[in-house]
Amino acid sequence: MSARAFEAFLTRIYVDAAARARFKADPRAEAQAAGLSDEECAALENTDWIGLEMAARSLACKRKLNRKNHPRNSFSNTLENLFTTIFARFGGN
Amino acid sequence: MNTFADKIGLGWRANLAAGIFSHLDRIDLLEVIADDFFDAPRREIRALQTLAAQIPVVLHGVGMGLASTVPVETKRLEKIARLVEQVRPQFWSEHLAFVRGGGIEIGHLAAPPRTVDTVEGAAENLSRAAAVTGSKPVMENIATLIDPPGSTLSESAWISGILASSNCDLLLDLHNVYANGLNHGYDPNAFLRQIPRVRLRVIHIAGGKFISAPDGSQRLLDDHLHDVPDPVFSLLEEAAALSPNPLTVILERDGAYPSMDCLLAQIDLARRALSRGRARRMVAEEVLA
Repeated sequence: MSARAFEAFLTRIYVDAAARARFKADPRAEAQAAGLSDEECAALENTDWIGLEMAARSLACKRKLNRKNHPRNSFSNTLENLFTTIFARFGGN
Repeated sequence: MNTFADKIGLGWRANLAAGIFSHLDRIDLLEVIADDFFDAPRREIRALQTLAAQIPVVLHGVGMGLASTVPVETKRLEKIARLVEQVRPQFWSEHLAFVRGGGIEIGHLAAPPRTVDTVEGAAENLSRAAAVTGSKPVMENIATLIDPPGSTLSESAWISGILASSNCDLLLDLHNVYANGLNHGYDPNAFLRQIPRVRLRVIHIAGGKFISAPDGSQRLLDDHLHDVPDPVFSLLEEAAALSPNPLTVILERDGAYPSMDCLLAQIDLARRALSRGRARRMVAEEVLA
């Protein structure tokens, strides 16, 4: 099994809560079902479980934020912010 | 006095535009998120070119996923190549991260397993990036809340391996070093001494917050929403004492924006930390001479 499949497995458990729950319930079975090697399955059994949950939550927040705020720093946004600043400074609405 | 031609800049954010334009005399350069302009209309590119004519600009990519066994997408390389050609930044940078696997987008930077395979994958991706864009990116270490599963190399050995095999320089994010050190139990100062100092060209400084883990413990989240903590300035001094190269230091802030005075005060603290480190380096060089 390739390193690329291992990265694909990590991606799935980072973004998919159901896949992550299955993995936590039975790490070896889930890794084997993905076709990973014995060595890779053993490595995954030693996962930093607390870190996995925290990282998954953090990544979910970032995805939500990115969807809401894209594009973030365009110059049309810059102009809008400049006008907001100017009006705030000089008492406009 | 700092005689190393070090520079200190700020991440370009639309919300900070008024403050930045009012204080260009205290900011040496701006770091622009490249991905914000990949599919931008012509007028946006012209505006970015105008900005780059006023103050030195560097481009910072966030979506390529170069530290991976998955080949980087050609269309993304072509987009950064086009933007580099249009803006002519002093350099461009990206992250030692993977962002997709098995056709799924993670949506942000994730730490890949630190293995020989990902060192080789990163080297191949960086070679392709250089071929398409005509220049190599400066590569940044990332913060990670999880110790990447399947890792066989330490973080410093993994980073050193990628820099050596790709001949790329390092953008060292000191808050990421600080956070990973706290979260995964290593000494950030020892980490600084383990990475190749001759590769160190650029430094990020930022802040974060402690978040509670399900077991009641705490980990430091690198959120760029808080002021730079004192230990990061100490690490900056240490990096300046170690590095033989001129350094470009960039303050990153992605939200919960404080006053411009507050950001400028952090830039001033960074200048002082750099000066202290450079003074130590000069003393050490004189002793050796």
